[in-house]
Amino acid sequence: MPQIEIGGKTYEVDEDGFLQELDKWSKEFAQGYAAVEGIEGELTEDHWKLINYIRDYYTQYGIAPMIRKLCKDCDFKLKYIYEMFPSGPAKGACKLAGLSKPTGCV
Amino acid sequence: MSDKTINISDVVNLPLDLKEQKKALEQKSPAVVEGKVKVYDPNKDNVKNLLEMLKNKLSRQTVSSLVGCVHCGMCSESCHYALARPHDPTMTPAYKADQIRQIFKRYIDWTGRIFPWWVHAKTPKNDEDLNRLKNIVFGTCSGCRRCTLNCPMGVDTAVLVRLTRGLLTELGIVPEGVFVVDKDSWETGNQMGVSQEDYIETLEWQEEEVQAELDDPSFKIPIDKEDCDFMYTVNPREIKYDPRSIAYACKVFHMAGESWTMPSFGWDQTNFGLFSGDDKLGGYIAKNLYEAAKRLRAKRIVISECGHGYRSSRWEGYNWAKYKQDIPSESVLITLIRYINQGLIKVDPSRNPLSITYHDSCNLARSGDLTEEPRWILERICTDFREMYPNRSDNFCCTGGGGALSMVEYKPLRIEVAKVKADQLKATGAKLVCTSCHNCVDGLSDLIKHYKLDMQVVQILDLVAEALVIPEKNEKK
Repeated sequence: MPQIEIGGKTYEVDEDGFLQELDKWSKEFAQGYAAVEGIEGELTEDHWKLINYIRDYYTQYGIAPMIRKLCKDCDFKLKYIYEMFPSGPAKGACKLAGLSKPTGCV
Repeated sequence: MSDKTINISDVVNLPLDLKEQKKALEQKSPAVVEGKVKVYDPNKDNVKNLLEMLKNKLSRQTVSSLVGCVHCGMCSESCHYALARPHDPTMTPAYKADQIRQIFKRYIDWTGRIFPWWVHAKTPKNDEDLNRLKNIVFGTCSGCRRCTLNCPMGVDTAVLVRLTRGLLTELGIVPEGVFVVDKDSWETGNQMGVSQEDYIETLEWQEEEVQAELDDPSFKIPIDKEDCDFMYTVNPREIKYDPRSIAYACKVFHMAGESWTMPSFGWDQTNFGLFSGDDKLGGYIAKNLYEAAKRLRAKRIVISECGHGYRSSRWEGYNWAKYKQDIPSESVLITLIRYINQGLIKVDPSRNPLSITYHDSCNLARSGDLTEEPRWILERICTDFREMYPNRSDNFCCTGGGGALSMVEYKPLRIEVAKVKADQLKATGAKLVCTSCHNCVDGLSDLIKHYKLDMQVVQILDLVAEALVIPEKNEKK
């Protein structure tokens, strides 16, 4: 199992860089990954709003939210989500939120 | 995740991961309980079962590929795995196909039954051997069929890889990603486990978005409307993660004054049966689609931009489902060409000024029939189109084909051999690479990121939406 080191802490991730265990997640993990996913500088308040929403949803239902739920509940336009997370909601936002890799051909 | 050449024995010896299978058993997942998706049972004689099944799955197509190989080595010149790892003979398509060929020879072909040592006939001894077989057929081939086209004997290695995958799927000896997708497909009718409610709400949401954009409340995404000219079917990735492509397509249909609909069930045009080699699953998913079109009395089925979905729904699905093809199907590219040709929509190429190259999806070009059509459209919607070489049916795979994106354990190898594709992309000097497949979008994006290419991936519909000239009455006030 590959490992990555962020801020002196070691995290177990899969070959695609997705965190293996949700509860090992930390804010440093998300911030440390941001640059890899094409986000420049510090994560903004809106980034955190989305990340926290995804984590809460996943804890409650065990799956990643549909993009529609995400946009509606966070009151973001789809276009804005792609501006915030250039690699998209599945490979960008979910990865920073510490979810495991989405299933299927993505 | 390093740039070093990986040791192939690390890939071939990856253990059988059963976390998801255990979870499904604990949760009494309906597809597992009903025996639609098989779980691994160490107490069964899996080797014997595999041999029995092999006998029953032989067809003229598979047998001619099993006996036809003369080991000339032409295939090693065509496979991106073999080209990127020339030091590694196990990357040669003939070697991969030999893994099932030697079993066929030992048990079925008369030469191997009498002189096994002479014809290299061999049998798997235990489940560990079957697990290694799993890693070879799922992890070292993307089923792109470039070797098939270049084989002087007409051997279809991808067909043999799919046959072997299918046998292992029946034994539950599969990568975790494949198991989960198979299960979700059986239980929800789509490969990403999207519920019908979520599907319909997503379409309603996109309907509102386009209404606002066009300032036109008459815009509708009609669901389950009967007697339309066509039924539009999509990839669940569009519903779950990126519905912009649905909005683009529907906007174009609306502009063209089309009579169309989307079904509430049977809307997934993708089909993991093609990747897992499971004809029963392939038949189930394809039949859902065909039955939806019949129920709605649609005159045609239109398939959104997706390589393996197009191949499954238009070409292979009828055989898997044993279904009489009474309603014609087409790619949305053909629909777009019709609109542009008949002047139903207007496009302005100057709105896409960046240099663009086109990546042919294997399943559209090599295993389908679409090579000139995407180029015909591109010539009309952008100003700087550059060919990539080789191209059309000789193009290299995006490296994410054959379900590879869902099998993350094999990603390091996939990315290493993607060097062939990366070099090909780089040589075009283009800023954008256009493809007509959602799977290729992700496969290409992964390698562009890894090889740090200054390039972005787009699809034909993205470019059409950008170039679309919206008549004045519909322009936003």
